[in-house]
Amino acid sequence: MELELGLALPNNHLMKGLDLNDGSTTNSYRKRGFEEAFEEVIPKATLPLFVHKNGGDGDDENDSPQLKNSPELNSISGNRALVGWPPVKHPRRRSAGGGAEERWSEHCGSNSDDGGGGRRAKCVKVKMEGVAIGRKVDLSLHDSYEELFHTLNQMFPNMQHGFAHHPHHHRRRFMVTYEDGEGDWLLVGDMPWEDFIRSVKRLKIFS
Amino acid sequence: MAIKKKKELDTEEKSPENRILSFPDEVLERVLIFVKCHKDRSAVSLVCRDWYNAERWSRTHVFIGNCYSVSPEMVARRFPNIRSVTLKGKPRFYDFNLVPPNWGADLHPWLVVFASAYPFLEEFRLKRMTVTDESLDFLARSFPEFKALSLVSCDGFSTDGLASIATYCRNLTELDIQESGIDDLGGSWLSCFPDSFTSLEALNFANLHSEVNFDALERLVARCKSLKVLKVNKHVTLEQIRRLLVRSPQLTELGTGSFSQDQKLRSDADLESAFSNCKNFNTLSGLWEVSSVYLPALYPVCANLTFLNLSYTALQSTELAKLLQNCPLLRRLWVLDTVEDKGLEAVASSCHLLEELRVFPADPFDQEVIMEGGGSGVTESGFVAVSEGCPNLHYVLYFCRQMTNAAVATVVRNCPNFTHFRLCIMNMCQPDYLTNEPMDEAFGSVVKTCSKLQRLAVSGLLTDRAFEYIGTYAKNLETLSVAFAGSSDRGMQCVLEGCPKLRKLEIRDCPFGNAALLSGLERYESMRSLWMSACNLTMNGCQLLARKMPRLNVEVIKEDESDDMHAEKVYVYRSVAGPRRDAPPFVLTL
Repeated sequence: MELELGLALPNNHLMKGLDLNDGSTTNSYRKRGFEEAFEEVIPKATLPLFVHKNGGDGDDENDSPQLKNSPELNSISGNRALVGWPPVKHPRRRSAGGGAEERWSEHCGSNSDDGGGGRRAKCVKVKMEGVAIGRKVDLSLHDSYEELFHTLNQMFPNMQHGFAHHPHHHRRRFMVTYEDGEGDWLLVGDMPWEDFIRSVKRLKIFS
Repeated sequence: MAIKKKKELDTEEKSPENRILSFPDEVLERVLIFVKCHKDRSAVSLVCRDWYNAERWSRTHVFIGNCYSVSPEMVARRFPNIRSVTLKGKPRFYDFNLVPPNWGADLHPWLVVFASAYPFLEEFRLKRMTVTDESLDFLARSFPEFKALSLVSCDGFSTDGLASIATYCRNLTELDIQESGIDDLGGSWLSCFPDSFTSLEALNFANLHSEVNFDALERLVARCKSLKVLKVNKHVTLEQIRRLLVRSPQLTELGTGSFSQDQKLRSDADLESAFSNCKNFNTLSGLWEVSSVYLPALYPVCANLTFLNLSYTALQSTELAKLLQNCPLLRRLWVLDTVEDKGLEAVASSCHLLEELRVFPADPFDQEVIMEGGGSGVTESGFVAVSEGCPNLHYVLYFCRQMTNAAVATVVRNCPNFTHFRLCIMNMCQPDYLTNEPMDEAFGSVVKTCSKLQRLAVSGLLTDRAFEYIGTYAKNLETLSVAFAGSSDRGMQCVLEGCPKLRKLEIRDCPFGNAALLSGLERYESMRSLWMSACNLTMNGCQLLARKMPRLNVEVIKEDESDDMHAEKVYVYRSVAGPRRDAPPFVLTL
């Protein structure tokens, strides 16, 4: 059964009666801008959300979600549009990984400019090419690019390996990039730290 | 004083023959002091009138599982000597945004009555109640002996309310605001504890957003020599934790702040020695944003740990494995699924005394974090691995994206003593991914094997058969949570007819209709509550229930005006207080 690429709920009898008040239809993770900005990524055909039995097309640079085993349901868009599912309490969701479902105003992950009066957490996602698990880094705990790279080193030991053995271009083997407020992908390190902090949305590391 | 007063009443009422035969009141009341559990006390109160009276005079702690089941006046009339109150408010699905805000469960009416009835009240333990700053201020000023305030999953207040508590509660021993939604107006509330205040034993502000004044915190910790529980929020740095530990090596429970790189930390050795000085840790939590290079500092305190809460820490399997090697006495472990199956295998090999495991999803909604070549997070094999290494396991909460009937059967064969089995297969209605069959047999094996099962949460593709199993075998079941399951009314009927100890039933998005609802007519008065949302209930069905069972409150939450016939969200509960008088417009009492 072919499913639509997008966040509209598929027409499915099990979906009736869903509460659609949630409105979390932000789909920033589906942006394709990154591949266009940096040519290193192998261009690939747009993935339709077909259901595969085991693993998708094996592309580990995949920015689109893959479905595993839900024959009837587009579980991805289903989960995102469905209120209160999975049944996870907000504090854990917020601190640990992200997720759009916040009941109270929340700083980690938002890009709100702090008007002073106490440091606010500023967490952004970091994904490294070839590493399955994305991480999150709290930028408010760092004061400079050096500190940030130090933390990234610790989060991604492969990167450390790269530093030690291949010191070239900018003393880095790995390229650390970030997405700014306008959706553009830029190299980390080119602008003053304070400006960077204000505009960064998420990070991506690749060789 | 309480006993004397009661005796005067009795001598007037009782005839001489009865007084000779009955058990002396003083003795009875002295004995009853030792009966603490509220269920036992309820049983005692039903024996006879004398015992009812002895019990009500000697009760010091009252537990109210549903704040609308009784009124504060009734409580005050029956129990004259209460020192401690536990109160629970909103339905549990409020935590998942299924109950609209401003639904109710306001603490204030209770405070007003109790301020005059129990001026010496010492403790409030609240769950899912709405508590305003005005209420907190009123509480702080009304109860001079107040000692312990615990607010779990509460909302409606801000740090200003905490400032009132800190300012006026001179005898405070416990302030715990875990997982409550707080309006954060800044961290100065902590400075409101006067310099003469030294009685604090437990402080938990782990979920507060803003920084607290660290100097005030450090001085507070330094002067409260009886402090045993300290759980700070993520803005407290490693160096600050080190300083706090130096001041309070007597801690038994610690919730750290951020556990990542801190420029101010003079050396790792300093941190390790601060931890080594603490010989009494049994609980560790917090650990936000962990840099694994600092984890070894924890190893000295791991030896006696019985509860490790890593549910805010995105650890990988190797980091977890190394940490757990130092925790042989662990009984309770909460982790994120970033540890994957390999991490769970490490649990199985290191923590043989484990009794409780909770695995939370790191990214339940955002699908960007995906594992290569297989499922994401943890799978059935991690679950099986833990069951093989941890035979004492009796509590599990497991979030995963794939499961098989065979794996669950194996798990319960290895661990037949489950009392709490909560399995959440996050993809809705997902069958056994190997056989493509429904997950009925999985839960069938759970209820057949685990005769002590008290709490069950089901998920995956389920037909009525799963509920037939539950009704047939789960004779000790008290709480059941169901979502996106079942094929017909029969499913719910089986449960209502077959589970004699059922107290809480919460259902969402299931094909159960009026027939199912009405099949439980006889049951609901012996249950605390029933929640049904996005099922096939109509207003007529609910009205019929309300008419037939006048001692139940049948409430329908109506959020949009469109479909008048459909009862989208229904909450049914027994009550001796009658219908709510504070219901908002979207809650219709039938």
